[in-house]
Formats: sequence, C-alpha cells, structure tokens
Amino acid sequence: MEIYHYLLYYFENSPTIIQIVWIASCVFLVSILILVAYLKYLRSRLRKNEKTVAEYQKEYESDLITYLYAGNEEAEISVEQQAIIDKLRSCASNEFKRRIIVSTLLRLRNEISGEMAEAIQNLYFQSGLISYALKRLKSDKWYVVAKGIRELTQLHVKEVHDKIVIHVNHPKREIRKEVLLYLVTLFHFDGLKFLDLLQTQLSEWDQIQLLEVLQRFDEQEIPDIIPWLKSTNESVVAFSLKLAKIYNQFEVKDALIALLSHPQKKIRLDAIHVLSHLQVYEAKVILKNNFDKLSQEEQIEFFKLLENLSEISDETFLLAHTTHQNFEIKLMALKIIKALALEKFKSLKDLSTDADYVKIYEFLAYN
Amino acid sequence: MSDAKKIVLAEDNSTLSLLLKFRLEKEGYKLHIAADGKEAIEMIEQHDPELILTDIMMPFISGLEVISHVRNKLNKQTPIIVFSAAGQEEMVLKAFNLGANDFMGKPFSPNELVIRVKRLLR
Amino acid sequence: MNTSTVQIIITIIHSLFFIYAFFAIASYVILAIISAVETKEYMKKNSFVNYKEILSSTISPSISIIAPAYNESLNIIENVRSLLSSHYVNYDVIIINDGSKDDSLEKLIEAYSLVKVNFLINQQIPTQPIRAGVFKSTNPAFEKLTVVDKENGGKADALNMGLNISNNQYVACIDVDCLLLENALQKMVKPFLEVTEVKIIATGGVIRIANSCIIKDGKLLDVNLPKKLIVQAQILEYLRAFLLGRMAWSRLNGLLVISGAFGLFDKKIAIEVGGYDTNTVGEDMEIIVRMRRHMEEINEKYKVGYIPDPLCWTEAPDNYKTLISQRNRWTRGTIETLRKHRKIGFNKKYKSLGMLSYPYWLVFERLAPVIEVVGIIYFVILMALNEVRWDYTIAFIILAYFFTVLFSIVAIFSEELTFHQYKKKGTGFKLVLISALEPFVLHLFILYAAIRGNFDYYFNKKKKWGEMTRKGMAKAENNL
Repeated sequence: MEIYHYLLYYFENSPTIIQIVWIASCVFLVSILILVAYLKYLRSRLRKNEKTVAEYQKEYESDLITYLYAGNEEAEISVEQQAIIDKLRSCASNEFKRRIIVSTLLRLRNEISGEMAEAIQNLYFQSGLISYALKRLKSDKWYVVAKGIRELTQLHVKEVHDKIVIHVNHPKREIRKEVLLYLVTLFHFDGLKFLDLLQTQLSEWDQIQLLEVLQRFDEQEIPDIIPWLKSTNESVVAFSLKLAKIYNQFEVKDALIALLSHPQKKIRLDAIHVLSHLQVYEAKVILKNNFDKLSQEEQIEFFKLLENLSEISDETFLLAHTTHQNFEIKLMALKIIKALALEKFKSLKDLSTDADYVKIYEFLAYN
Repeated sequence: MSDAKKIVLAEDNSTLSLLLKFRLEKEGYKLHIAADGKEAIEMIEQHDPELILTDIMMPFISGLEVISHVRNKLNKQTPIIVFSAAGQEEMVLKAFNLGANDFMGKPFSPNELVIRVKRLLR
Repeated sequence: MNTSTVQIIITIIHSLFFIYAFFAIASYVILAIISAVETKEYMKKNSFVNYKEILSSTISPSISIIAPAYNESLNIIENVRSLLSSHYVNYDVIIINDGSKDDSLEKLIEAYSLVKVNFLINQQIPTQPIRAGVFKSTNPAFEKLTVVDKENGGKADALNMGLNISNNQYVACIDVDCLLLENALQKMVKPFLEVTEVKIIATGGVIRIANSCIIKDGKLLDVNLPKKLIVQAQILEYLRAFLLGRMAWSRLNGLLVISGAFGLFDKKIAIEVGGYDTNTVGEDMEIIVRMRRHMEEINEKYKVGYIPDPLCWTEAPDNYKTLISQRNRWTRGTIETLRKHRKIGFNKKYKSLGMLSYPYWLVFERLAPVIEVVGIIYFVILMALNEVRWDYTIAFIILAYFFTVLFSIVAIFSEELTFHQYKKKGTGFKLVLISALEPFVLHLFILYAAIRGNFDYYFNKKKKWGEMTRKGMAKAENNL
C-alpha cells in the first residue's frame, strides 16, 4: 500500500508530459500483452484450421468419388448417390464446410472432362450449392461477387449468363475480369460479344488470359472482328489486333491498314506488327512512302516488317538507311540488304567509318 | 492379387489421384499415390512399378525431373504417361525428349486414360 | 550568457528532440495503419488470382533475369540452375560475370556446355568491355541461358551490360545467389500488365531470409527460423520494413527504393534514364529515384509497384562484421542518392515525390542515426553536468522500448495474417521473445554501422573507390 501511494503521489506531481509518457507506456504494454495472447490464439487456430480443412477435404473427397462411381447405367440417381447429395446439402449450410466442398468439386472439375465432369456439375446443382453462388452475385462486397462469378465459371453454369453480363462495365477491375472469363470460358467466341458493350479498358493481363482461354478450344471460326478494330475503346482495338494475328485474319487487312493512322502510337505499332505477320505488301508501300513522318519506334517496327516482306525493289530505300543514326535501323537495313543482295552488301564495307556501322558490318559479315 | 501390375501415380491434386486410383484399381492394377515429385521418386525406387503416371507441374520436383530420374539415373525403360495443363506444349515436348511415352492434356476423361494405360501395359 | 538564456536554449533543444521523436513515432503509426488497409486489399485481390493461367502463356511479355556475379564460383552452378527453373515461359537468364578472378566462367562453361557465340551489342549504356565473350549453351535444355564475361566494373556496370544485351521488354535485376520461387516472375510482372490508368515503371519484391531454411536443387523445401540471434533479429527487421513500411509507401506511391536483390523494370525506361549509376554504392535506390524523377519531368503518370509475397529468399549476414559493412554501404548509398537528387527535395514541382517521400527519407532514414547519436552525446554531457532527471529518463526509455516491441509484434501479426511462413509450433513464442531482445542485439550495431557510413562518406573517399572496383559485387540487397 505504501508503494502504491508513493507512486500515485509521484505521478500526480509529475509534469503533464511525464504523465502522458507513463500513460502511453502503460497503453503500449497492455497492447503488447493483448497482442501476444491473441497471437498465440491465432497461431494455434491457424494450425488447427489447416488440420481441420485437411480432414474435411479428405471426407468430401471420398464422398465425391463414391458419388461418381455409384451412378447406374440408366443415368438415374442411385440410392447411394442420393444419400451423398443429402449429406452435402446439409453440410453446405455451414459456410466453412461449404467452402471446402466447393473447392473439392472444383479441384476435380478443372482436371477432368467427359461424363464425370457432367456428374460433378449435376451434384453441384442437386446439392443446392449453386444457390449459394447465386446469392453471392447480389453481395455489396466486390470480392464476394467476383468469387461467385468465378465459381460459376469453373462449374460451367451457363444458365446465369444474363445475371453476370450486366457487370461487364463494373467499376471494380476484378469483377470485370471474372465476367469476361465467364463469358469466354462458357460461350467461347460467342462470349466475345461483350466487346461491343465494353466501356472500360481491357488490361493486357485480361487480354492474355482471354486469349489463353480461347486457345483451349478447337474452333478456328472466329466472328467478324472488323467492328472491334474500329472500336473507340483502344483496348478493344488492341485485343482485336491480337485476335487478327493469332487467327490469321487476312481478310481484315483493310481495317488493319486504316489503323496505321490511329491516333494512339501503341495501336499503330501493333498494327504494323500484325500486318507484317499477315504479309500484307500494300502496308509496306504505304509505310515506305510515309517513312519520314513516322515516329522512331514505328520506323523500327517498319524495318521489322521489311525483314519479312522485303523485295529487290526496296534496295534503294534500304541503302539510304544504312547510315541512319539509330542502331537498330542501321542493323536491320544492312541485314536485309545482305539477305537480299549479297554482292551489294559486300560492296558496302567501307561506306561509313562510324563505330557502330563498322561493328554491325563486321558482325553481319561473319554470321 | 500379387501379380497385379503396379502403377505409381504422381499428382499434387489429391482428389484427382483418388479418382484415378479407384478407377484403375477397378481395372485390376495396384496403385501407389505420390503427392509430389520427391515422393514419386521414392516410390518408384521402392516399388519398381510397371507404369508411371506423372503430372508435369508439381511442387518441389517437377514431372520432368521424375522422368529424367527414371531414364537417366535408374536407367529404366518403364513406360511413362505425363499429364499437362493447357498451354504447356513446351513442357510436353521436353517430356517427350526426356523419354515420356504418352501424354494427356488436362482436362482429360478418366476412361480415356484407362484405355491408354491398358495399351501401354499390354 | 546569463542563466535564463541557457535555460531557453536548453528548452529549445529539448523541444526539437521531442518533436522529432513525436513525428517519428507518429509516422510509424500512420504507416502501419496504411499498410493494414493496403494489405487487406491486396490479400482480397490476390485470393483468387490464378497465376497458373498466365504462367504458361506464350503471348505473355518477355522478361530477362539479369544476375551479376563476382567471384561466386562456390555456388554459381546451383544458383544458375535455380534461376533457370522458373515456371514463366517467356523469359531468359543473363549471367554477367563481372571480371571474376576465380573459375566461375570455367565452371559455367563446363556445367552448362557453353560455347562462345558472336553477339552484337547495342551499347546504349556505356560499360566496361567484354572480356572472354558472350556464351550460350549447346544443350537445348539450357537455351534460356546467356553468360557474358566482361571486365570488372562493379554491380551497376554489370547490370548495365545486361540492359544492353537483353532483347526483352522487362528486366528482373537480381543478386545471383537469390532463390526465386517458381511463380515469382508472373507475380512481379502482373502490375505492369494489369494497371491501365498509370504507367508502371518498376516493381519491387520482398526479400526473405533463407538462413537455416532447407534448400535443395534450387528449391525452397522448408522454412525454418534461423538459429543465430543476429539473423533472427534481422527477420523481424525485414518483416517490419517490408510488411509495414514498404506496403504503406506503395499505397502512397512513394516507394523510393526497391531491393537490389529483386526488382523488375520496364527496360525501355531504365535505358532511357541511362541505366544504373556506376558512381554510387546505392545504385538500386538511385535508379528508382532517377526513374521517378524522369517520369515527373516528362509529366507522365506512373507508379512503382510492390509485391509483398515471399518470392525471393537470400542469406542474410550471420556475423556482426559482415552486417556492419553491409549497413555501412547502405548508409552511404542513401546519402549519395539523396545528395545527387537534392533538387527534388521540398520541390513542389515533383509533387509527392518531392514533398513527401524525399523529405521522409531525408529526415527519418538518412538523419535518424545522426540525430540519435547527437542525442546520446547531449545526454552524456548532461550527465557529466549532473543535470539528468533519472526518473524522467527512465520513463522515456521505457516508452521508446515498449513502442519498439509493439511495432515488431504488429509486424509479426501482419505476417501471421498474410503469408504465415513460420508455421512451426513454438516459433510464435520465439518471435515475440526476439522482439523484446532485438533492440539490444541489433539496433546498436546498426547505429554504429550507420555512423561509420556517414564518417566514411565524408572523410574516407578512398574506401568507396577501393570497394567499387574490388568487391563491388559483394551482396547488396540494399536499404530496408
């Protein structure tokens, strides 16, 4: 008691600042103790959780396998299957368990095809799991919606198309991406119709993912991409350019040539690249006549096109650029001349004494 | 049962492993399941299977390394089927170069796998 | 001077110290809060990204890993093997042997069946010349590998050579002895591809400490807490810096540094600004500041991205000598960078870069050790004059100590709720214990190293040059 009174007296007679310091110290100490206690709880919970998840997963895994092998020839639901459906239905009301069930179904659904894949989908419907995913679409939290869409994509639920397509211009990037993946995964090229509606930018990442999904399908018949090449949404144009290249859309060459005068440099560069890939000689003529007005990057891209499409008639043009100040242009001009007219190339040895020129020439001469 | 042909299956997706185990055991094979490349190599050395099924992408040791281990370190000609996901063409080519016998692109149908297994073990 | 003037001066000095400490603590608290918000957002976004989907795509953008090596003969074969095992498809690995005096090159040639090739280099950034040549493998399994042997010029010079040689759109500049997880490249490249509103100029990764972890064939098999206290203490330091500090700065788009041990750059911009500066020991911080400055000057919207996932693991110094020389170098790197770019400090033209990031680094990173030492000296003088109120001193020391411990524990929490790398039982307790001990075992040495760094910078110019040429390649995972 003595000490307590003494401390209290000391505290009360200290300057305010020292009082604050002591109070803050106490607050910190208490926070430390609370956090340490919580940390202990958290760590053991995380550890336990991992175990529980593994246990449940094992259980649902074997339920799923039993379900898949318990089917009978008439494609009706057997008694054994019905028992599993009922069990999963009741487990699904618990969110923790539901998550594990869905992830178990997905893990298998993504890896296999054929009858069994359909059986898994059927189970998803029968056990009522789908209704939870649909509920997620109405959530206010963006990540809940995004996860719901992803689940429906992976389980190939085509029926909810209308409910999902409305989110195509959602302000949250993650939701938009899931919507696009849904459309393309389930409806393939038909799903690309969203490009007509898209007002937001399609990121490079999204574009790559969509193309990857499309490449999984064997169909090579792609819809008419000309309207998209003319889109006012630049990212749609960029994406269509990629489609034109991958699916060799030679018939859209006029639309591609028109893009050579697009206001965005990035689009112009991509257009040159695709025209080169499709070997459109008309583009070469246009660009060559316009060469001096192009930006340096376009000039370089044009030379890459020339590597692909050069003819003997380009020789004068190429010669004029062997002493261009840009290293890459110089290199490509000489390289193309070498491929086109070896004798001419040999005569160029002493054309310039510029160090880069000499270096490039020697490199090409010995390779 | 003792003369049942042994198969080592290396696959990090336990659900798929279980499904294939059931399916192939119904056909009369004896399955050993490995969850990653490291386990797969141990099992192959221990059980000396007649056939190996392996996923290409697995934690720690990839399917490619499993193939290379079997062909180059153990000097065995055990038939090997690899599983690959979409877009791993490059990996599949490497797998064939290392000595894989067949491949199945995911998603695949378990029934088709059974047919290929039977063909290789005939 | 009469007594009252002395009294006033003393009060002013005290107030300055107090204000500094107050703002330092406040900034920590604010950064921790911002980082919590950002971390939560990041984890949500990341929880359903399927990296497998993009990793194998052949239309994904091309990346070059550039790894300079100087006298790394001991582990170079395994290190290169680890770099070659990434799951990303469209990438290559460029090893720059920066005039090593050991048998690194011979070992590489032998292990990877290398042959000398004719190679045309567009010398966009001037560097030391090629020594033995450029090598490629005859074995198709190693087609991604290029080895360049050049005259010694230091780490920055070697990286510049890599920038000249790479044909790819992005470059990942890393320390050769870093262990990268297989999905590291796609995680790092994601912001570049995903953000459409601003230009991403670089992304920085997290460095995790690999001491005592089990690594086999270039793969991380098991994560362990290191045994030595000095390394354990650095773990906490890294957690605080990466999970709390950098996470918050990335939210504010104010990152001034990304680790030299692992960063991904837009190659075009890196070359545009002239590559790495070979005149500083802090080239990794300097290039980011310069790139940012460049973007501000051309008035284009940009961001430096940050990926908090544990993707890059490396050995931390496990003795005080190496630790002190490492921190000494970091200190000098910071001073050099800040001095070189003095112009942006407190300059409205550079917006938050000039008004927030630069001042913060100057005041709370650059000057912190100096102010701390001045404080200690002042305290000693007061002690000598018998002017110390010991009870007040103790109150302040306890406050500072509790705050430090609390901050470390918050960092541990952040780790547990996000990446949870130290899963083993009992590790949590150990981490808490280390938080309590860390101020004694690590802080004093780091303070000493920082002061040495200041001293060397101002009074020992020779040291810098000796270091640059001789052992410039020593590990520099840079400032936290």
